[in-house]
Amino acid sequence: MEQRTFTKEELHQYNGRGGAPAFIACQGKVYDVSSSFLWQGGRHQVFHDAGADLTSSLAQAPHGADLLGKFPVVGMLSGD
Amino acid sequence: MAKVAREMVEKAGVNVDQLVELLVKNAAAELTTFYYYTILRVNLIGLEGEGIKEIAETARIEDRNHFEALVPRIYELGGKLPENMKDFHDTSACPPASLPKDPTNIKAMLTVLVEAERCAVRGYTHICNLTAGKDHRTYELSLAILNEEIEHESWFSEFLGEGPSGHFLRRGETSPFVGKFMR
Repeated sequence: MEQRTFTKEELHQYNGRGGAPAFIACQGKVYDVSSSFLWQGGRHQVFHDAGADLTSSLAQAPHGADLLGKFPVVGMLSGD
Repeated sequence: MAKVAREMVEKAGVNVDQLVELLVKNAAAELTTFYYYTILRVNLIGLEGEGIKEIAETARIEDRNHFEALVPRIYELGGKLPENMKDFHDTSACPPASLPKDPTNIKAMLTVLVEAERCAVRGYTHICNLTAGKDHRTYELSLAILNEEIEHESWFSEFLGEGPSGHFLRRGETSPFVGKFMR
């Protein structure tokens, strides 16, 4: 299936607020984390918001990118 | 609120409102885990289940102790617990440790238990990293809880065939690390 390419501005719309899906980007991939208990309302552990590229945040997190493997990839983040 | 205690943490560069929110989320995780572990424990029956029941019970009691130990720090820093229990549940830093569809599946039961402990280990590692050298009291409390959560994880992971934990069952009182915060 062909995957969508998101700009940072487009990704920002998927912030999990007001019923919007919660998408996050990591290492170029965009994941749909809407189903996660830990991403309710588009926020994760107080410090992280959906609708953003969290690659650098994940480097500081107490878990690796492998935890994202259980969420569907909905597209790629453009380099612009 | 402990006004100067909060001020010292703020001066050290910690966003106290964010820290308090994180502490409330982890307190919620502890109390809800205590509740869910109660259901898991009563379902740990039969030849396989009985072997796990005692450590599940120790982890259950110690998670409740963690909740009790966290609450004073939340209020010292100017925070409070939500008035509504459902809101408190839903703000938990960890997903519900729900009973598996087949409670006789011991591997599924252990997976729920170990995943809950792993979430807690991550959470307290995060709080320790945020507060190290800045908020000594929250750091020491979080480190004490972390020590117990790591032991819980190792107990359950041993039964999942992930190798020896190097531990034996608790002998004597529960919460050897957190107990000093509960006196």
